[in-house]
Amino acid sequence: MAEAKGPSVGVAGVRAGDTKYSVELVSGPEGPVVCFRGTISTPNPGAVLTPFVDAVHEALLEGRHASVVVDFRELEFCNSAGFKAFLYWIERIAGAEAGARYRLRFRSSPDRRWQRTSLLALSCFAPERIELL
Amino acid sequence: MPIDSTTTLSPPIRLSLRMTLSWALIDEVRHFVGAFCAWACPSLDRGEHLSLAVHELLQNAVVCTGEEAVELSLEIDPTVNHVSIRVTNTCTAPQAVALRERLEEMRREPDALRHYLATMAQTSAAERGGLGLARIRFEAQLGLEALFELGRVTVTASGTLVPPLPSESRLCHG
Repeated sequence: MAEAKGPSVGVAGVRAGDTKYSVELVSGPEGPVVCFRGTISTPNPGAVLTPFVDAVHEALLEGRHASVVVDFRELEFCNSAGFKAFLYWIERIAGAEAGARYRLRFRSSPDRRWQRTSLLALSCFAPERIELL
Repeated sequence: MPIDSTTTLSPPIRLSLRMTLSWALIDEVRHFVGAFCAWACPSLDRGEHLSLAVHELLQNAVVCTGEEAVELSLEIDPTVNHVSIRVTNTCTAPQAVALRERLEEMRREPDALRHYLATMAQTSAAERGGLGLARIRFEAQLGLEALFELGRVTVTASGTLVPPLPSESRLCHG
C-alpha cells in the first residue's frame, strides 16, 4: 500500500496538557514528533487528548506525512483511560483514505518497563500502523 | 517516599493501607508501591507492573466508593514465587453485576493478550473505564478474582512474582 510522503512543514505548535502532563507536536530532524511528558492519570484524559489527536491527525494529513514519532521517554505513567487516546488515534488513521494513512512510531524509555508492555499490546492491536523504535 | 533499605523482613512481605481515596492520592500510592516493591525484591524488576496493577485497581475503586475507606494489601513471597494485590471497597449492586460480567468475559478467553485486544476493539474512547482489568491481566501478568460481601467487593490480582518473559514476535505474529 502506498504511503503518503511529504515535507515536514506545518505540523509544529499543536499542544495540550493538564496539571500533570503535557503533549506537543514538534518538527524534528526525522519528521514530526509528538512528545508526551509527565503523568496521565486524570479520570478523563480523553477530554484533553481526543481534541489533541484530532488536531495532530489533521496536521499530519495536511502535511502528507508517512509517519510520526510518538516520544514516550518523558512520560512517567499513562492510565488505561489515557491509553484509549491511542486507540482513538488508530481509529482516526484507519478512517483516513488508504494513501494518506501514516504510521505511529513509538519511542519508549528502557527505564520505564510499563511502556514496553503497553506498547507491545498496542502494536499487536494494530501491527500495520504501529512501530516500536 | 524513601524506605529504610537496612530493614529486612521474613517472607511473605506485606503492605497494608487503609485510606479515603481520591484521584490525586492514587498517583502517590502508585509511587509508594513501586518503591516498596523495589525494597522488598531488589533483584526483581517487577515494581512498575505491580504498581500499574495497583493504580488500575484503585481507579476502579475510587469511582465506586465515595467517602468510604478503601483497603489495599500487597503480599510478596519470593520463597514461593507469588504476589497478590487485594483492593476492598464499597460496591453497589449494579457495579457488582458489571464487574462480574467483566470477569466472566475474561474467564471465557484464557489468552490474556487476545482478551486485551478484544477489549481494546470493543472499548469506546468516549466512555470511562473498560480497559483496566484487561490491562492488569496482560501487562502485569496477574489473574483476577472478585469476592462480593455485604455491599463490599474485594478484587484480587495475583500471580507469579517472576512471570515468563513475553516474546514480542510470538505475541504479535504467532
